[in-house]
Amino acid sequence: MEFKDFSLFLNHTKVKRFVDDLASGKIMGTVCKKCGLKLYPPRADCPDCYSTEIEWVELKAQGKLATFTMIYVPPDHFTTILQMPFSKFRFDPCPIGLLELENGLRIMGWIPKVNPKELKVGMSLKAEPQMLPGGKVTIVLNSV
Amino acid sequence: MRKVAIVGIGHGKFGVRSDASQRELVFEAVKDCMNDAGITIKEVDSMVTGICSDHFSFALQPSAMVHDYIGFLPKGNFRTEGACATGSMAVRTGWMTVASGLADVVLVVGVEKMTEVPTSVATEIMGKGGDATWEYPFGTTFPGYYAMIAQAHMARYGTTEEQLARVAVKNHFYGMKNPYAHMQKDVTLEMALSSAYVAYPLKLFDCSLITDGAAAIVLASEQKAKAISNKPVWMVGLGLGTDTMVIGERKDLTSLRGSVYAARQAYEMAGLTPDDIDVATVHDCFTIAEIVAYEDLGFSKKGEGGKLIEEKQTYADGKIPVNVDGGLKSKGHPVGATGVSMAVEIVKQLRGEAGPRQVKNAEIGLTHNVGGSGQVAAVHIYRRG
Repeated sequence: MEFKDFSLFLNHTKVKRFVDDLASGKIMGTVCKKCGLKLYPPRADCPDCYSTEIEWVELKAQGKLATFTMIYVPPDHFTTILQMPFSKFRFDPCPIGLLELENGLRIMGWIPKVNPKELKVGMSLKAEPQMLPGGKVTIVLNSV
Repeated sequence: MRKVAIVGIGHGKFGVRSDASQRELVFEAVKDCMNDAGITIKEVDSMVTGICSDHFSFALQPSAMVHDYIGFLPKGNFRTEGACATGSMAVRTGWMTVASGLADVVLVVGVEKMTEVPTSVATEIMGKGGDATWEYPFGTTFPGYYAMIAQAHMARYGTTEEQLARVAVKNHFYGMKNPYAHMQKDVTLEMALSSAYVAYPLKLFDCSLITDGAAAIVLASEQKAKAISNKPVWMVGLGLGTDTMVIGERKDLTSLRGSVYAARQAYEMAGLTPDDIDVATVHDCFTIAEIVAYEDLGFSKKGEGGKLIEEKQTYADGKIPVNVDGGLKSKGHPVGATGVSMAVEIVKQLRGEAGPRQVKNAEIGLTHNVGGSGQVAAVHIYRRG
């Protein structure tokens, strides 16, 4: 379930351009034109000074892994049911994590390519958009 | 503001309650509560109901089913919500109703029936306790959020999976002494450490349970409290705090800012400090949450929560007994009921009625109830009358 499947949430919001930018390869955040507050995820409204004058900026999406997990018991919409009697399968979930940028903002993403055994808080990674089969776009954290 | 006391407590059996509907569960707790207070429902002026999710209730106004079923008509009732802190929102609202003078005797009910949906659906409903737009698309679940908090805590403070497991061992030890607990099962350190991962590094025994259950309390003004009860427990401090929707926006991934804020507020209102607390129930939806709570509530220094459980300081005979009712971990976590159930346990402790899990001469108690992965947090402080 990727961002474009959540069009109900994003396409009818004031930050809908985020998805199109993501599809074109950019991870965007917002900066309040009045007080300078930087935000990711992006927002159309500044919670600090209440300005609605917002500038979109591309994030320099390199940083350090702040934390991560692997979800072995997934929510319903990701669940696969094995129909074969007396059989088991081993589920190896793709890790997800939070990448902390130099400016303190954090980006959530899948970590599909790093060996889970080598994942460590503090390691350097970069966040990148990635197209999935079916034209969905998501964010991945890859080695620098 | 008027003083407010708890003058009645009621609790139903927590567990997989396929034998009873949501409103029938409430009836059990309310009947128990009326018996305890020695009053009838006719003597209650107003009511507040904590029910967390319509997705579990399959209803638009589940609280209406409740007030109808317990024979409360035509007096007032409405529902509160604060995710897993829903019950404490109901307690707080009940307190406000009495303190303001709007009513003299108020019934507070908390309930959730979570097992009517399959586990994967319950996981999905609870996962939406996070940000549905920005986090949920990454398959985040409730254990997933706390797993990320655990990972950050372990990286910064050296907290270990064994320390997490020790929280589970303690809470199951006490859950076995609580007849209302869902999973009355002895859990050894080896069992906890060898259980399967739910969300790395959290394992099966690091997680609280998907549970059905209800709890109820009666709150009263000073004048009414003295008429109804010879063992009132006074609510002397209330705090409420919040934190960001997206956990990635938090300045500190190892602490819940809302808990710290709520605790400070409650201690200040009560004129007390963490050292004054004799017994506490804290929000151990996951074992890491109990360790973070030790630190956020001031029971240990920041980063030393793991050491506190390792030294067994949170057992009934330790420096600060925590979750000696089994906690969410063993007693179970019917989300809307949990906050009310915590208040019930503290009242039992302060009255000296907690039986085999009684903390000696407990005079001051604290409840700490967290919604979502920290988006809302309530801390209440109670004093024996």
